[in-house]
Amino acid sequence: MVFRFIQLFLIATILVSTVDADSVNPAIISAPGYGDLAYELPAIGSYQLPPLGEASNGEVLIAKGQTRTLYELFDDKYVLLAFIYSTCSDVNGCPLTSHVFYKIKSAMKRDQVLASRLKLISLSFDPEVDTPSVMELYGNNFRYAGSAGEWQFVTTASQQSLDPILKSYNQVILRETDSSGRTNVGYSHVLRVFLIDPERNIRNIYSVDFLHHDLIINDLKTILQQEQASDQTIKLAMVSQQTSQLSKPGDNKLGYELSSYVTDSQDLELRKGTKADLLSIASNPPLGLPAIPVPADNPLSREKIDLGRKLFYDRRLSLNDTFSCAMCHVPEQGFTSNELAMAVGIEGRSVRRNSPSVYNSAYSNLLFHDGREENLEQQAWGPLLANNEMANPSIGYVLNKVRQIEDYRGLFEEAFDGRGVSMETLGMALASYQRALVSADSPFDRWRYAGDQTALSDSAKRGFEIFTGKAGCVACHSIGERSALFMDDQLHNTGIGYRESMGIFPDKQPVTVAPGITIDIDRAIIDQVGEKQATDVGRYEVTQNPHDRWKYKTPSLRNVALTAPYMHNGSLSTLHEVVDFYDQGGVPNELLDPLIRPLGLSSQEKSDLVDFMQSLTGSNVDTLVADAFDAPVGDVGEGDPSWVHGSEVEVR
Amino acid sequence: MTQSDKKLWLVLLFTLLSVTMASAATDEIGGDFTLTDHNNDTFRLSQLQGKLVMLSFGYTYCPDICPTELAKLAVVFDTLKAQSDRLQGLFVSLDPDRDTPAVLSDYVGYFNSGIVGLTGTETAVDEVARQYRVKYQRNHKDGGGYSIDHSANLYLIDRKGALAAVIPYGMPVEHIVDVVRGMLSGDG
Repeated sequence: MVFRFIQLFLIATILVSTVDADSVNPAIISAPGYGDLAYELPAIGSYQLPPLGEASNGEVLIAKGQTRTLYELFDDKYVLLAFIYSTCSDVNGCPLTSHVFYKIKSAMKRDQVLASRLKLISLSFDPEVDTPSVMELYGNNFRYAGSAGEWQFVTTASQQSLDPILKSYNQVILRETDSSGRTNVGYSHVLRVFLIDPERNIRNIYSVDFLHHDLIINDLKTILQQEQASDQTIKLAMVSQQTSQLSKPGDNKLGYELSSYVTDSQDLELRKGTKADLLSIASNPPLGLPAIPVPADNPLSREKIDLGRKLFYDRRLSLNDTFSCAMCHVPEQGFTSNELAMAVGIEGRSVRRNSPSVYNSAYSNLLFHDGREENLEQQAWGPLLANNEMANPSIGYVLNKVRQIEDYRGLFEEAFDGRGVSMETLGMALASYQRALVSADSPFDRWRYAGDQTALSDSAKRGFEIFTGKAGCVACHSIGERSALFMDDQLHNTGIGYRESMGIFPDKQPVTVAPGITIDIDRAIIDQVGEKQATDVGRYEVTQNPHDRWKYKTPSLRNVALTAPYMHNGSLSTLHEVVDFYDQGGVPNELLDPLIRPLGLSSQEKSDLVDFMQSLTGSNVDTLVADAFDAPVGDVGEGDPSWVHGSEVEVR
Repeated sequence: MTQSDKKLWLVLLFTLLSVTMASAATDEIGGDFTLTDHNNDTFRLSQLQGKLVMLSFGYTYCPDICPTELAKLAVVFDTLKAQSDRLQGLFVSLDPDRDTPAVLSDYVGYFNSGIVGLTGTETAVDEVARQYRVKYQRNHKDGGGYSIDHSANLYLIDRKGALAAVIPYGMPVEHIVDVVRGMLSGDG
């Protein structure tokens, strides 16, 4: 936006200097709108047109003298609104508007989108002369010439009904008077044309120097493009809500770039839980999943699952009693965090990777993005001890703490045949709960494994063909004959890690500072104030094998519609972006996985692929989320000792 | 006449007056008129029935708008040459003091022979301007002389003499050609 203003200022400066140079008779210099633009327009979509306020309503008269409100005339279209009067003779005033509107009307003949989405309205501010019949005579122009698109001429019943409209559009209009005080024929007014969106927000205001059909069409196309992009994200969010009522992001900032943004945050009080029979879900996984592998020394039991569930939501399992596992693996956000690209741990400490979803982690032999852990029992200790996650100083510290907490008394013993709290049993309990979070029986599964042809939309079926064919996604996101894990339990270099390590960033980054207000900030400025990015070399950190640099594990695509943002660092916000990324062939580097190459997908193919991935949301998601809502949230209560200081704490 | 009769008359009178006033305010725009053409002959608009009329207002001393408008009319005539016999251009002078028939004859001749210049008494011209809602006003210059500010719409009158469309000033000539062509071929 800043850029836009500077640009406008520059143009204005140029214009002013042009006028100076030719100032023999400035009166006859025609406005730029009459000719070709003297400057190159910025690319469509490369700039923002944030709403400038709401366009006002008002009562007007249309051709036959019927009363309408302006809002009725807007007709859910984009509107270009100009104030005119038919006896206006200043060449750079109303006639300029007519000329520019004519150019746009002509463009409508060639451009279907323009014709169907935009409407031109000329509103007279001279109700005395410009009666409805005069407006009708204006409108008649297009009975005879060019019917594509709509240009409507309207007036008002009287000065009294006009005044509030003029005032609300800040159109100061003075009747010109001559030296003797006699009212002149003209009005003096500042020419302004308003571009209004279907939500009735004013998106741009054109004054005489900027009223040009090319600029207006460029602006409209820019808004339409951005509207389409946000429609896609909104549609995406809607789709995931269709399959899961409870999976709602807290505040994932979808549509945050629009000023109409409303947070999706839910009131905690509204979260009503229902306990589910997780043991039977885990023992008999939904359609499309194989039996879950269970370690011989940790068979599933109801007691273990319950205990693990209690531990998973217990904030006391962190150094300062504030941070539970579920705060990064948020149940209603796909058991990941839709709000953060990279996780944030205790006291706001930055974590260098995206929270992986817990759904179907039972099937993975590689845990963490670099696959450094091999089973859930052991994995549990990673976040518990990581300094920037739950930050416990030691294993013993955690065990001692749990042993002291009254409400865990006897639970471990009951679950583990008399064995108490230990490194092993605590890991086993947490593993048991997470292992039970299996989710499938998605529309895809019902189509593929139950033969229900109606389960999958046509576009998702086409997406499946591309997924398994042209795009070759299935090479890593495997689909079997009788079940599908949508992962290969392997690690691959897609180039995302390489790009981050090499510091390949665009020079400027758009930063949305408030809904509808985005500014482009120089990378150098961000680097000055931003936290330095932690190095991340992926699998190499585990194997020390140089060939493993920037390899990360293949995530399952089950419930992928619920688990945005994507990739190991959460750098892609939507599935569309992910498809685009792979379509481009990832980020080339010497270790790029040979399976990744430019795909040459059409936009239809891309959207079919996205539709396919959206069909992978399991039918039991809401059951698992409701069960999570039912879980007790472990917190320090009144009279509890502070597990940090050993003294009594105030309840927060 | 009784007291109540008087009252009745007054009421009737007021009603009549207000009806007249109201109709004056919503008077239809356009209509027939009589002026003098550039050959000094009496000219009635209605004598052109059967032709499509392009009516514009201005004055010959006009520095910018009027020549532009008349040049556009000339382009329309040139473009629609084959149908030019069904077409008539009119240029009504808002400056009868200076624009005598002879002056007008010279002036419109520059543009196209299909355009007739019209003038008349100040009252007659003013009446036509009023009919077509044309606003104009003299601006006296410091060194003597004057210019005239005026509105510059183009009025299209169909073959039956009815005002069919008003083209706002500023529309490019292509548009005027389109509208005229449309009217000639269609219901105009």
